[in-house]
Amino acid sequence: MTFGSFLPLWFFQLCERTWPGSWVRNSQWLFAIVETFHIMALGMLIGTLVIVDLRLLGWGMRRQSAAQLANYLAPWTLFGVGMMVVTGVPMFMSEAIRLAGSGPFFYKMTLLFLALTLHFTLHKKAIASNSGEVSGFSRLAASLSLICWLGVALAGRAIAFI
Amino acid sequence: MPHLFSFVQWLNNTRASVYLRQGDWTFPIIETVHILGLGFSVGIIMWLDLRLLGMAMQDAPVSDVIEQLEPWAIGGFLVMIATGLLLVVSEPMKCYTAVAFRIKLVLLVFAGLNVLYFHRRVINDLDGWDGQVPRRAKMVGALSLILWLGIVIAGRWTAYF
Repeated sequence: MTFGSFLPLWFFQLCERTWPGSWVRNSQWLFAIVETFHIMALGMLIGTLVIVDLRLLGWGMRRQSAAQLANYLAPWTLFGVGMMVVTGVPMFMSEAIRLAGSGPFFYKMTLLFLALTLHFTLHKKAIASNSGEVSGFSRLAASLSLICWLGVALAGRAIAFI
Repeated sequence: MPHLFSFVQWLNNTRASVYLRQGDWTFPIIETVHILGLGFSVGIIMWLDLRLLGMAMQDAPVSDVIEQLEPWAIGGFLVMIATGLLLVVSEPMKCYTAVAFRIKLVLLVFAGLNVLYFHRRVINDLDGWDGQVPRRAKMVGALSLILWLGIVIAGRWTAYF
């Protein structure tokens, strides 16, 4: 499955013609610079998710409640996602036509949607209801969250190779 | 450095190197695991550093944060080292010629010394900190953040140029 199979070609052509698209594509350095920021944001984002999820799984940070940790880290999770989007969109625009036919890109976006949906529903609920004890529910929410985000990263990396 | 260069040439011709370089999937798989290891360990290291700097998770004692997160950071780091060595084996020539890679190695040594200093000289009176993180520990946190940012940038640059 690809985005090109259901979205019209002109949309991707339009993306490539926008100034961020053509700017990143025509510059020798810009893609590399933007991608470096994308990866730094990835590190930060994964850090915030892993710390909270380790707590929900009961594998780390057990002396703090998940809510306490999330209190500090959730704004940074959003900041990380924001930075990923801000750096990701110009990269997409610079090669939109190629990505229209990319399977990994489609799966990355699908998994991202799923991961974000989980983050604001099940995951949020697990954090709120986690009073200190690790429950089956918090374990499930953390595992699903980690698997989805891992999938986003894997599919993201695959875009460059496939 | 003639000895280093002949070693690199030798490494480049080993069966392992040729195998890793010629496989369609070997490099992408190793690199993907390397980046996941990066996200995992740099992600955690960054939050340890921010805690030392008093910029995150302030109501969790520093000792708690270090004790509970450091093993995971080390685990991620080992994944990065293992896959990083394989990446070097797969393209030794590129690593030898890339300036960014040399910078990366120097920064890694500094990051290692920074951790060593932290464990030898800073951490021993951890219990006496009582919410007030000493300046030396803050220095370690700030240095670590800067060094790891540099390592990520230099690493990404090795792939490109």
